[in-house]
Amino acid sequence: MKTVDFLREITRLRGLSGDEGLVSAFVAQQFAPYCDEVTVDVMHNVIARKKGPGKKVMFAAHLDEIGLMVSKIEDDGSVRMGSVGGVDPRILPGQRVTVFGKEELLGIIGAKAPHLLSQEERGKNYMREDLHVDVGLPAQRVKELVQIGDQIQLEHRFTELQNNRIAVKTCDDRACVAMMFDALKRLQDIRHDADLYFVATAQEEVGSRGARTSAFALEPDYAVALDVCHAETPGAPQGTMKLSSLTASMGPYLHPVLRSKLMDVAKDNNISLQTAVVPRYTSTDADDIGSARDGIPTVLLELPLKYMHTTVELLDGKLLTEGGRLLAQFAAAVKEDWEDELWT
Amino acid sequence: MLRDTLQTLLSCYGPSGSEHAVADKVRELLSGHVDSMKTDALGNLIVEKFSADENAKTIMIAAHMDHIGLVVTNIEKEGFLRVSAIGGIGPKLVSGRKLVFADGTPGVCAIEPNKKDPSAQPGLNDVFIDIGAESREEAEKLVSIGDVAVYAPDFTQLGRHKVASPAMDDRCACALLVELLMYADNQKHNIVGVFTTQEEVGLRGATVAAFTVQPDIGLALDVTGWGDTPETDLPAVKLGAGPAVKIMDRSMIATPSVREKLFEAADMAGVAVQREVLAYGGTDGGAIQLSRGGVPTGTLSIPCRYVHSANEVIDMRDMEGALKVLLQFVDLA
Amino acid sequence: MDLKALTEAFGPSGSENEVRKLLKEAASKLCDDITIDRCGNLVCRRQGSDHSKPSVTFAAHMDEIGFIVTGHTEDGLLRFRPIGGVDPRVVVSKWVLIGPEKIKGIIGAMAIHLQTKADRERVLGYDNLYIDIGAADSKEAEKLCPLGTYAVFDTEYTEFGDGFIAARGLDDRVGCKNLLEILKTSDYEGDLCCVFVTQEEVGLRGSTGAAFHLQPDIAIILEGTAANDLGDTPLRYQVCVPGEGVAISFMDHASIADKDLFNQMKDVAVARGIPHQIKRAITGGNDAGSFQTSGKGARTCVLSVPCRYIHSGNNVAKLSDIKAQADLALAFLNSL
Repeated sequence: MKTVDFLREITRLRGLSGDEGLVSAFVAQQFAPYCDEVTVDVMHNVIARKKGPGKKVMFAAHLDEIGLMVSKIEDDGSVRMGSVGGVDPRILPGQRVTVFGKEELLGIIGAKAPHLLSQEERGKNYMREDLHVDVGLPAQRVKELVQIGDQIQLEHRFTELQNNRIAVKTCDDRACVAMMFDALKRLQDIRHDADLYFVATAQEEVGSRGARTSAFALEPDYAVALDVCHAETPGAPQGTMKLSSLTASMGPYLHPVLRSKLMDVAKDNNISLQTAVVPRYTSTDADDIGSARDGIPTVLLELPLKYMHTTVELLDGKLLTEGGRLLAQFAAAVKEDWEDELWT
Repeated sequence: MLRDTLQTLLSCYGPSGSEHAVADKVRELLSGHVDSMKTDALGNLIVEKFSADENAKTIMIAAHMDHIGLVVTNIEKEGFLRVSAIGGIGPKLVSGRKLVFADGTPGVCAIEPNKKDPSAQPGLNDVFIDIGAESREEAEKLVSIGDVAVYAPDFTQLGRHKVASPAMDDRCACALLVELLMYADNQKHNIVGVFTTQEEVGLRGATVAAFTVQPDIGLALDVTGWGDTPETDLPAVKLGAGPAVKIMDRSMIATPSVREKLFEAADMAGVAVQREVLAYGGTDGGAIQLSRGGVPTGTLSIPCRYVHSANEVIDMRDMEGALKVLLQFVDLA
Repeated sequence: MDLKALTEAFGPSGSENEVRKLLKEAASKLCDDITIDRCGNLVCRRQGSDHSKPSVTFAAHMDEIGFIVTGHTEDGLLRFRPIGGVDPRVVVSKWVLIGPEKIKGIIGAMAIHLQTKADRERVLGYDNLYIDIGAADSKEAEKLCPLGTYAVFDTEYTEFGDGFIAARGLDDRVGCKNLLEILKTSDYEGDLCCVFVTQEEVGLRGSTGAAFHLQPDIAIILEGTAANDLGDTPLRYQVCVPGEGVAISFMDHASIADKDLFNQMKDVAVARGIPHQIKRAITGGNDAGSFQTSGKGARTCVLSVPCRYIHSGNNVAKLSDIKAQADLALAFLNSL
């Protein structure tokens, strides 16, 4: 499967944090031909191992997605929503969703019409609590088909734009899972000493929970966390990145020596990397992997994304394969003697 | 009897960090009913009741002993006590309440007026405890900095089925766990009942207990919010409609397999249960689930009104139902 | 090791190399088993002969608050962000040292003459503050201080007043100094470990790793804590008072002290006549939190030196309190 097709398929699958079974199964199935063993653990983390005699290296990108969950069914049959992860309520009004009840139900997110709002109310954004999902069925039928806790997924529409740019939901962070897929394919033809673990982690959006448990279980020597970062958009604050090159962050939570190794590999392979400076927590899996057990030297590689946490997350498609190339080359470059340099 | 056990546990002093009186009471109640009891570095009481089945799994069931309180940080020269919060306790909740210290010293809680802005919302810095002392010296004979006051114990029957008490969160769950450990008999799985400490300040006891116990399955017992009083509609949970199986809260998305097992147990026990999606809060389940390489974990909740107030209200029918579900749960294949 | 050298060593969270090197050199004269772990913590162990005694770890953090370079302007100024909690109101018109080469820089602001009334009231945030190293343009600035270069306040260790000192990084170089004192003086017969940890100021990162692999029975944290005692601070906001001895904590935002240890500390201090006070607030949080909740957990207690202006470039503490912290730590060990 081509990497871009992998992205198209994986972004389609439903996998709210905590209920990633379907996505996990897809990832396990797609990774399997390219590695020695694949397991899915109790948290729905997918762990794909490509064996080597050397240092244990963990690559991690999360496969879960933000979304909505049924929190209440009103007497009129409208469905109230809770949020799983940080869903921006501004994107909701007028959105199409799928409610995964006993059947899959198409729903429209509705709100009170603007002409019924007071002047004051009109000046404010809708809150999630003001909105409801309308599945177009009589109340009794809704109560038969839908239960509290059922998942609600936002619309999937894979859109190819100019200049190889792609917009679709859940590029955060399945585009990075696609990068790992790309790397695994390349590693078929590249020699590596390191014992490689490509982990598609669960529950990142609710606090890097899958990364924390998988890092504990695997106990790697080094880790590379993969996530998305904000690309420049009009009016964005300083610190946003250029869309068309990968980002290697630096800051206290990330290991400086390991990062410089990553920079060297990128340079040797003609891959351009930008630098982001993160003064404290990175809010990615890197934070929890880095503090697992007695500490795991960790670096963070990020893919710039416009419009994060919407249904139109936009990226530069060429980075999927460039990122794959970088990961594969880094995996091949890991040496035993890096250990001596860590704290110098 | 569940009700007697509950009342006994509700009478114990036990703010986060000082739970030993509760632990002692639990030890006394369970003496002779279980295989082992031990206390760890954080004061968690870990109680084991083994199964004879060689394929038995180990189920860790946690109920926290601690509850919220006010810790004395300063003593004014007039003898009034200044305080900080232990857990989620606010000025609106404590004002006008009777409080009690570990040795039984009583006090009442008050808020100073804001002369600059009478309409301003008070903070905990505006709160003080009056223990009747007339000077700092007199106060210091009764109370030291670092001492903790809790709501004075109380137990009130409301109507036919409901009861109110300041420590319902989470002694009602401790009572359930005590009863489960007492009455589970030849159950299929090993039960490790953990009476945890310091839940209200960040699930600290459960974090280390889960690491030590290394269970195959985790289950937290706790209270949850309510949606059945005027102008309160979420979570969609009612008192008296049965215990609630948690789908998610801020600390945990329940592992689907454990959640389904709870529904199955309820079904087999013939107990109606509710489904709970909570936009706030957390339980020990969050800590157990993320222990080591991850533990499949769920939470069974007792719907409770006015959580963290001096009158936390639950329905005894939900308690009875929860006990039946638990007894079934530890016996499921 | 003198406190002057320790406080003047460069060590913002994530860049503790210089402090670690200095401490390692000093500790190697006092301890045979010294390692650097996966988090960069400096671990000094001494195996005990009496295994009936509890294993005790003392921890102090090497890192300090500081800054990190996040960008360069066209005219050669450095954009920056704080490492740890540095109030932007204390940084204007201060001197900084940037990077391991310790390039000098200053943090200026528009002259008061040029400010509007609104300017004067507005707090300058980090988006509006710059470090000036005198670079001619962005290229030169980038070459000297690339993205991600760390910086600290440039402060000379100075003794003043009635036994007070003013310095940078007293939080927690005082604790580091006292760990060395423990290694030097203690003849504790149980297992003893002194660990100098990294990254406390950015979320107890180093100690999380240390706690996991050390797993002591008892962990005692030696810290510097905000005093907040002077000026018109009402009693209820005061925390502790420099000069009144080492502060024993019953609780802070990261941990609640083990009740027995807390009482034992008080009793030992009273019995040995060591000046001490109870910290009268639950503000802050420190490495006790990670020791308490890591692995199987540990019993913890925190002993702090009261420090004024703790998250600025000039921390103030009293030498007698620093001594009291070491005295109480050692007396406690003797009491076990």
